[in-house]
Amino acid sequence: MDDYQTCPKCKTTKYRNPAMVLMVNACGHALCESCVELLFAKGSGACPECKCPLRRNNFRVQLFEDPAVDKEVDIRKRILKEFNKRQEDFPTLREYNDYLEEVETIIFNLVFDIDPTNTNKMIDNYKKENKDITQKNRNRQSQEEMELEELLEAEKAQQSEKANLYVNAELEEKKQKHKAREKLIDELMFSDADAKSIVASHVQATAALAKEQPKVAAQPSSVVVKSSKFSSGVQIGLRGQHTNAFLPIPKQEDLPLYRYTAPVFDYDGPPPPPIEKLGKLNYFANIRAANITERAGGYTEAMSCCRALQEALGGLFYSPQLTHKTAVLATNSSTQDTDDMETT
Amino acid sequence: MLELKRALDAKGHCLLEMPSGTGKTTTLLSLIVAYMKAHPLDLTKLVYCSRTVPEIEKVMEELRKLMNYYEKEMGMEQNILGLALSSRKNLCIHPSVSKEREGKVVDGRCYSLTASFVRARHAADDAVPICEFYEGFDAHGKEFPLPPGVYNLDDLKEYGQTKRWCPYFLARHTIIHANIVVYSYHYLLDPKIAEVVSKEISKSSVVVFDEAHNIDNVCIDSMSVKITKRLLDKCSNSITILETTISNMKENDSKRLEKEYKRLVEGLRDATIARETDMALVNPVLPSEILEEAVPGTIRTAEHFVAFLKRVVEYIKTRLRVQHVVQESPAGFLRDIHTKVCIDRKPLRFTAERLASLIRTLEISDLTDFSPLVTVSHFATLVSTYTKGFTIIIEPFEDRAPTVSNPILYFSCLDSSIAIKPVFNRFQTVVITSGTLSPLDMYPKILDFHPVIMTSFTMTLARPCILPMIVSKGNDQVAMSSRYETREDTAVIRNYGNLLVEVAAAVPDGIVCFFTSYLYLETIVSSWYDQGIIDQLQRHKLLFIETQDAAETSLALINYIKACDNGRGAVLLSVARGKVSEGIDFDHHLGRAVLMFGIPYVYTQSRILRARLEYLRDQFQIRENDFLTFDAMRHAAQCLGRCMRGKTDYGIMVLADKRFSRADKRSKLPKWIQEHLKDTNCNLSTEECVQICKRWLRQMAQPFSREDQLGISLLTLEQLQSEEMQKKILQRAQGV
Repeated sequence: MDDYQTCPKCKTTKYRNPAMVLMVNACGHALCESCVELLFAKGSGACPECKCPLRRNNFRVQLFEDPAVDKEVDIRKRILKEFNKRQEDFPTLREYNDYLEEVETIIFNLVFDIDPTNTNKMIDNYKKENKDITQKNRNRQSQEEMELEELLEAEKAQQSEKANLYVNAELEEKKQKHKAREKLIDELMFSDADAKSIVASHVQATAALAKEQPKVAAQPSSVVVKSSKFSSGVQIGLRGQHTNAFLPIPKQEDLPLYRYTAPVFDYDGPPPPPIEKLGKLNYFANIRAANITERAGGYTEAMSCCRALQEALGGLFYSPQLTHKTAVLATNSSTQDTDDMETT
Repeated sequence: MLELKRALDAKGHCLLEMPSGTGKTTTLLSLIVAYMKAHPLDLTKLVYCSRTVPEIEKVMEELRKLMNYYEKEMGMEQNILGLALSSRKNLCIHPSVSKEREGKVVDGRCYSLTASFVRARHAADDAVPICEFYEGFDAHGKEFPLPPGVYNLDDLKEYGQTKRWCPYFLARHTIIHANIVVYSYHYLLDPKIAEVVSKEISKSSVVVFDEAHNIDNVCIDSMSVKITKRLLDKCSNSITILETTISNMKENDSKRLEKEYKRLVEGLRDATIARETDMALVNPVLPSEILEEAVPGTIRTAEHFVAFLKRVVEYIKTRLRVQHVVQESPAGFLRDIHTKVCIDRKPLRFTAERLASLIRTLEISDLTDFSPLVTVSHFATLVSTYTKGFTIIIEPFEDRAPTVSNPILYFSCLDSSIAIKPVFNRFQTVVITSGTLSPLDMYPKILDFHPVIMTSFTMTLARPCILPMIVSKGNDQVAMSSRYETREDTAVIRNYGNLLVEVAAAVPDGIVCFFTSYLYLETIVSSWYDQGIIDQLQRHKLLFIETQDAAETSLALINYIKACDNGRGAVLLSVARGKVSEGIDFDHHLGRAVLMFGIPYVYTQSRILRARLEYLRDQFQIRENDFLTFDAMRHAAQCLGRCMRGKTDYGIMVLADKRFSRADKRSKLPKWIQEHLKDTNCNLSTEECVQICKRWLRQMAQPFSREDQLGISLLTLEQLQSEEMQKKILQRAQGV
């Protein structure tokens, strides 16, 4: 495999020299190890292909068949160190996806050297703006990674536990069989009873055992894997600090403060007089005034009067044919009439 | 029928074992059709799944007979539409495309003639070729439903020829309103195809899986992916093609890419996916909540996605460069791919979907080149979706040739219930049936469902027409066994040879022998040759051998049949789990005796099998040994069942291994074989076996007419209606 890998400088192939190792640097061009030693004896020099200035200690072993991928992964790792926002940092999925695409564009530009000045500017801008988040995110794992880690750990624990259990169960079974057989032989040797009846009873005993077997086999499954959690669900161990075992502190949203706006009612009839004016308009003349006990609870006669008026006037203009709009128009035009009526 | 009716009434699933040749298919069809007629609202459709094209044809024949009978008895046209569906390869009538021999090529060429964009291009420019049959179907076929009747593949083709409509699309369109659909397992089980073909089948259908003894393996295969080095190299090629096409398109027609991009930004699911011709690329099962989400930003633009694919492929290449076997879980793989090439789980999940969308946008009409890339994208999607029930095994070389490096990545499904779960959940009744399903209780466990009915039926026979025997030792009293320790023992091999020679001398016409593996077959035959057994054998009969090459095997089969037909007599040496053991019937004189040399255990050292065993043990509490025995016995039963294809048939079944006589193996044989396996026949030597054979054959060779069966295994209408019989039936119905 990989026999056709060739060093572009000295033309050695993997086939001729199986020990050859290709190295790559930041520019993404490959060189074999001996060429690197020769060309970069001083510690730095230019890439023989693109004349890009390189340092010797930045050379790494080429991992992928295509050195361009090596380069891309390199750049990607560097960029992702800075651009490490998570989905939790964005209010909507859409914005997060836009951000992801932006990152991808930056990486793409860097790999193919498209518009380097602008790209670098973008990176610098981003670095300045998002210093805190970057710093914060560096120390915590993303939700997904954590999930994976947990899965892996659970798998490992389960595997070792189960393997042990089954080995033990099988050993136990073998032992029992052995014992039973020895018992049978002993009995046949020393007992005076009929050999046939002894064998028959033995067969019965083994059958009974066999019936029990499934239960034994099923048992190990019910044995709980050694718990790695407290009963409250908090992980035992260091990693517990990072998991969000506690409820997260509610985030302070940067939203505008709440402002009260009075609700507008659509009475669909002449507007009832406001509650403050009822006394002036002499509405209380015809109703019973609230007594002391009633007023103690905060009740005034204005309340019930207002409610009655609203009920009486509401829906007066309602007609099934009229649309909502015309109804509103009608109320506007009729307001004056009602005013007249009230004054009279 | 009684049990089936109960299952239908209960709207639950059932598991039925019926011996082959006793009218399994007819029973199922007639009852379900009758039920459909009686309760048209409860039961709207029958989906009958079989394995191979000849089997599908057989079912259609049975259905036609049934319909003719209905017509004769009821005296009017039946309003039932039954049809068979197969791949494009079997249904295409396009003059040049249908000449292609490989299924994939036919699919690709069909796609290049019928994809929506090709047709759009054709509308603008007449030089672009399209398929006239599809055009005909598209123009007229959708309005006129197929007249009721029974259509097999040839009928469909003929109908298509006369109307100038494409039979394949006609059949696919008709599935929706047909009453009876007969097709292959894969249309229902393989999530990649099922999504397209079987999506619209209503819940109130009955699904029948015939010959379903291997159903768990079919399920597993449909979810597994195998990636080789060559496949990856092809992937790299197709990625370069993608790159150039994208850059071309950017220069000429960037609008289309922009449109796609916008759609992805909006997170809308592809509207075009519903278009039936664009189905060549479909994604494997994904939980629906993922499908509703928008494609992640990292792979939204076409260039980024191609770079992403490149990284995935290169990463897998590095993984294949291992020196020793690696086994890891999907979770481990995901973590590794994240640290090595910074690929998150989420974009991986969308790979298949995104690739399909891209290929559609680029209007690439020749899809055959992209199948490797599609395979990789399926792998990426599956690995990131399922963390349980799968494992990844990377083998740098084959076990048999450890010096030749041939790295393969197996992404193997361990849980057969994953693929079949949607089927059980969706349809009200699923019937799983075969001639050999024993032991029955294993299937509900490994497929993870709860059947309401689970029964094994026996045959009512007028004479003991099968003779199962367990031969455990040779004439020299050396135990016969294919155990690993005694495999190379010349005494055992000689005893097997003598058994075959003596049976061949006593039994007329055809004899079929099954070995546990090709390797074992070859070693045994070569040592028989040295011992002169082959010469002795050829004095009695001609000798044919099954090989791994399909063409060679079918040639051997043809000549075997010829030798049996003209009375010369022949012996066929074949392998359990091979082609012969699965699909070919040896009825009457073609198989008068079946010999099973050894117990056909699977190759237990295979890592995939080991992983599956472990999974079964952990998840379903099935012990390794239980599963291995179950698997071996169902294949042994399958081989034995080859020689019995009906009530008038008769055959000898010789199980030549000491271990068969143990209770755990014997009890796992199907009930209809166990019934005839007497205790006296369980521990025979070669000589005794031949004696019994001779006596039995003399008895069987007597003329056997229909009258002999009457009253026992065959009833006339009067007998059926007689009081005594009615009582018997009633008793059975209540007793069970």
